[in-house]
Parts: sequence; structure tokens; C-alpha cells
Amino acid sequence: MGGLLELVGLRRTFGPLTALDDLSFTVPAGHVVGFLGPNGAGKTTTMRAIFGLTDLDSGSVRWNGGPVGQAERRRFGYMPEERGLYPGMLVGEQLEYLGRLHGMSGADAGAAARTWLERLDIFDRAQSKVEALSHGNQQRVQLAAALLHAPELLVLDEPLAGLDPAGVDAIGQVLLDQARAGCCVLFSSHQLDLVEDLCEQVTIIDHGRLVVSGTVDDLASSGARRLVVRVEGDREAAWARSVPGVSVSEVAAGAARLVLADEVDSDSVLRAAMRAGRVTEFSFQRRRLSEVFREALG
Amino acid sequence: MKFTLVIAVGAVVLALRIFLRGRGRSGRAPSTDDARPHRRVAFGDSLGDVGLVALREIRERVRGRIFRVGTVIILLVVAAAIVIPVIHGGKAGPQEVGVVGPADPSLEQLVQQAGARVGTAVRIVPEASARAADDAVRSGAIDLAVVDGDRVVVNAPVSADSTSTVATVAQEVAVELGIEHAYRAAELSGSQVAQLARAKPVPVQSLQASTKGTARTTSVIGLILVFLMLTQYNTWILMGVMQEKASRVVEVLLATVRPIQLLGGKVLGIGLVAMGQAAVIVVFALVLAEAVGSDLLHGTAPLVLASELVWLFLGYAFYCWVYAAAGSMAERQDQVQTLALPLSLPIIVGYVLALTTASTGNADLLFKVLAYFPPTAPFAMPVLVALGDVAWWQFLASVLISIACTVAMALVAAGIYRRAVLRSGQQVRVRDLIRRPAGSRRGTAAVPR
Repeated sequence: MGGLLELVGLRRTFGPLTALDDLSFTVPAGHVVGFLGPNGAGKTTTMRAIFGLTDLDSGSVRWNGGPVGQAERRRFGYMPEERGLYPGMLVGEQLEYLGRLHGMSGADAGAAARTWLERLDIFDRAQSKVEALSHGNQQRVQLAAALLHAPELLVLDEPLAGLDPAGVDAIGQVLLDQARAGCCVLFSSHQLDLVEDLCEQVTIIDHGRLVVSGTVDDLASSGARRLVVRVEGDREAAWARSVPGVSVSEVAAGAARLVLADEVDSDSVLRAAMRAGRVTEFSFQRRRLSEVFREALG
Repeated sequence: MKFTLVIAVGAVVLALRIFLRGRGRSGRAPSTDDARPHRRVAFGDSLGDVGLVALREIRERVRGRIFRVGTVIILLVVAAAIVIPVIHGGKAGPQEVGVVGPADPSLEQLVQQAGARVGTAVRIVPEASARAADDAVRSGAIDLAVVDGDRVVVNAPVSADSTSTVATVAQEVAVELGIEHAYRAAELSGSQVAQLARAKPVPVQSLQASTKGTARTTSVIGLILVFLMLTQYNTWILMGVMQEKASRVVEVLLATVRPIQLLGGKVLGIGLVAMGQAAVIVVFALVLAEAVGSDLLHGTAPLVLASELVWLFLGYAFYCWVYAAAGSMAERQDQVQTLALPLSLPIIVGYVLALTTASTGNADLLFKVLAYFPPTAPFAMPVLVALGDVAWWQFLASVLISIACTVAMALVAAGIYRRAVLRSGQQVRVRDLIRRPAGSRRGTAAVPR
């Protein structure tokens, strides 16, 4: 497998609202790409545009350098934000049906449904109606529906929404496995920090425009240095606010997260902290994706 | 008679058993073997996406309780419509008439002629005595008895408005015997009596076409069925499209198939179920009518039945697109209801006018015009056929108009569906679909679907 999804200059307006504003980015095979941004940033519209589910005012979606038609879309897997399954249909039959719509034979679709239901640990619900399943299990069925036909491109809109930590881990592992197998994986989330561990590459958008794009490692290690300092007896980190060139980005459970200006020497920060009290924590940290986002917007 | 009733009851019981078995199967606890999704026949493979969608519709519909119970109820109604008139009209076979007294050819001839006038065959059974005749009538061995040529004995009381065969034969015989007695009292000669007996009514000329009662009755039953079935299948389409939109499954489906394929598959699948159900009902009606000797399917009635079937098909083909487009504009039950009412108006108007016309037997100009108007033609045209008010080329013209309008409607509906079915959050209004957002044009990205 292996492919490349390119979104070039996507533009879409709904009346006075500009949902996508000259948005361009690529999704290479082999990596889990996080598609991030606050609510209303245009993530869902972008994903729907990949599947031709929304008209574009201009711009193009290309797969391996060519246009995307029905034949290409058959090899894509899609999990929409507002989950879509027939509530009254049996899980197994539903998956088989969706598999066949993706061009699989009945036997292959049945076998793939079985494999994925087993893998996602809901095989015992194959003969249940979808509406009888819990939210988390419905989400697993939806994921199975997107994966069933071994897609070359996997597009998942908010796949982790409403899941417990075990569910997040399980789905995260599946995405990683798919990427390792050569699949293009694009998934969206509005919770930037929650998915930081999951993605290897991120594209962050806001108001339909690209904010920043790159590998998580590059984005996290670039920018101003971050220090987390905990001083006993000073839960509000009052000491740090008077240190020149240091800004407090947050204080959580007595630990202050500090952003250091380029000219600031970390030793001087440590000395200032020691003057305030006993220092129990002092560590350099990577930049968080939410910080990348905020700083990119200025 | 009893035999045919047993067959009818047996058919219903069998249908119920199949229904209950089906329910039992779907309610069974899953075993490991069952859990494997069933392999489907290769039918869908050769039909492509439309076939797959249609196959799913057929499976889900036929499996549904509403369909099974609905079919059984319709079959029961049809059985009742066929069997009740037969029972009401009494025995279909010859009437057994007991005659007490010395053999009298003129009396026997009188009884036979009375039967012929009523439209039933009569068999004369000599009875030894008035008491024996009473017993035979009471036990049902004979239907009525003529005692000594001056009295008619029946089991149940006969009134002026009795319509059973026994009652009408008894009344006819009683009147004839009374006339016979009057002739004798007037002391007419044998030749005079014979001449009077040959008296024939002068012909009654009607200014309007023959009403063909049987065909009319058949057309009324057919009308009710066409109305019920069209309403049911339209509702399926409307609800099916609405539910696919409401559950957002349409988004998953349209990521793979084209809107026209999804819509076409749905319409085809439900249409096949509709035609299958109609076929079952027609075969059931034909077999039952033949078995109980009903005259509902005699004469021109089969022609009426055939035209009902043609128009059920054409009516479905026309309305399915209308309802599909409407369903794509709603995503909640209350929205569906506000849409369904205006859509069902032409159906209701056509149905009511057709029923009225079928019962009065007079088609006015408006009704004849409505027979060429695709929304009302499925009801109006079969009634005109039943009334003998339409030539074959007029029928064909109406069919062609309907087909042309159906094609146009399908194109419009597919356009509305494509635009409306993915819009969620609020009810889509028609003008939203016509007026495109400013500056919006189809981008190069969205490959024509």
C-alpha cells in the first residue's frame, strides 16, 4: 500500500460564513496524522469534501496525483462525526453490507466483519441490533465499518469523542497499526492535548485556514523553552511573576508552567525559585499542541 | 362451500405460522455458528450497488413485522370481500326445491322458470308429505318446499328486502303461484294461460352505458387495495429516506455510492416488495374466488384487475420519487408529517372521486380528465375501465403520460435528494434547494457524482 492525499486550495462558503479558506495540506502514508482545531474550525467540512459529501467553491482533492472519483472512494474508509449506522440492523449484517458496497464479495465481507469484530472485542454482539449497543460499542462497530475493506486512506472524524481511556487506547492502537501497514490515516479532534501522544504528524486549522502543520516532534521541540517548577508553600507561583523574561502559562496543583524568553537563563529562574522556598520539581518540558496552536495564532 | 372456507382459513393459518416462525428465528439467541454474518446469494453481485441497496431493502422490509402482519390483514380483507358475498347470496349450487303433491309438469316448469329469472339452477325433489317437506327444509336437506301448489315453506323468515338466493327464489315462486291461482280463478282457457305465461317484459333502454356491476365491485375492491398499498409503500420510502438521513448512515453510504444509486436501490427494493405482495394478493384472490365460485372475477372483472395492477405499478413508480424527495428534506417525525399531508392530497382526492364514481357508475368530465393526470390516474383510469368508458388508445395515452411524468419526476427528485439528504440540523425548504449560495459553484474537487 502507500498513497498520498493532497488537499489543494479548498474553499467553501455557507452564505456569509467561510468554512474553508484556501486550505491546503497533504496526508502521507505511514503516519497517523492528527487534524486538529477548535470547534467550528472546518475539520468536518474538509473531511466531507474528501468524500464529495460537500460541494467546494474551489480547490481540489487529489489521491496519488489524480482526481478522486467513486472508484477511489471505494478504497477509502470513513467514520463521520455524527455516527451513521442503521439502528435496527444486525451488526454483522450491517458490516457485511457496507463491505459489499466497498466492492468486497459477500464471503470476504463476512470474514472481514468477523475479524474486526473479534479484534475490537465485540464479536459477541454480531447478532445484536446496533441500537441495542452502548455508545462505546457503537463507536467500535463504526470503526470496523471504516476498516472492513482494508482502505488505503482512513478518515475518522472525532473518533475518540466520548470514549473512556481504554477505548481511546484501543482505537489509538488500531490507527497506529493501520499507519504502520502503509495506510494514510487522518483523524480529527478538537481536544489538542488529548491526542498529542497518538499522532505523529499534525495539521492544525482555525477558521478554515491552516495554522500550522508538521511532525509532533518538530512542533513540540521548537519555540520558547518551557519549565515546570514546583515550590513548596507557594501554590500560586507568585515568585515567578516577578522574574523578568518569564511568563506563567498555567499553574496546576502547585506546579507552575513557565515560558522562558530566549535571553533568560534557566539558572536565574532556579535561583529565584529557591529564594521563594524549597524547590521540589524543576524540569524542561516539550511544547504542547495547544501551546503550538495559541502561539501560532499570536 | 364448507370445503372452500376450510381452504381459506387454512391459508390464513399457514401465513400466520410462517410469520411466527420467522419471528422465532430472528429472536433466537446467537450461537457461535450463527454469529458469523450470513453469506448472501450472489444475486447482489451482478446488480452492482443499486442491487445491493435493493437487496438490503427487500430483506429488511420482508423481515419487518409490519409487512407480515399487514400482508395477512390484507389477505383476510380480500378473503372476506370474496367469501362474504357468496355466503350472503346463499348456496352457489342448484337450489333444492321440495314439491309435495301429485306430479305436476306445469308446477315444475313454473319453479324452474322462477329459478332462471333469479339466476340460479333449481332441482326438484319430490316430497312424500307436508310434514316430510317441513323436516327436510328444517334440516337443510332442501332449501324450500312447495306444498300442494298453494304454499311455499322456507326455514328462515323472508322479508321484502331479503337478498339471499333462497329468499328470492321463494318470493319468485310465491308470486308465480299466486298469478297461476288468479288465472284459474278467472277461468281462463289453457291457451290464454299459456299466452300469459309467455308474457315478456318490454326492453328497458338505458341512456347511459352499461354499469357492469361485477366489474364495478371488483374495481372498488381493487381501488381500496391500490390505495392501501400505495399509501403503505410511499410511507416506507418517506420514512426510509428520512431515517437514513436522521441516523446519518446516509453519510457513510454516500461516501461510497452515488446518491442516485442509493435512491434507485431503495425505490427498486421497496417496489419489488410491493409487486411481490400485490402478486400474492392477486393469486390468493383468484384461487379463492375460483374455489368458492365467486363471480367477482368473471366477465370484464379480470380486465379491471389487470388495469389495477398496471396502475398500482405506475402509481408507485410516480409517487416513490415524490416521497423520496420529501423524505430527504426532513429528519424528524414531525417534519415528515407536515410534508406527508400535502403529498397525500392528490392520492386521497383521486381515491375518493374514484370510489364515488365506481359506486354511481357515472364518470363526469372532471373524472375523465383526472384519468390522464399522473397523480390521480392510478385511481381514475381503472374505474373508467370498469365502467367501459375508455378505449384502449386512451388507456395507453394515459400510461404514456404517466411514464413521461415519472421520468421527469425521477430527475427532479434525484436532484432534490442529492442536495437535501446531507443537509442536517433543520428542515430543508424547497427554495433552499433552488437558490444556491452566492458565489457557490461546483468546484473542481467535487468530481461529478
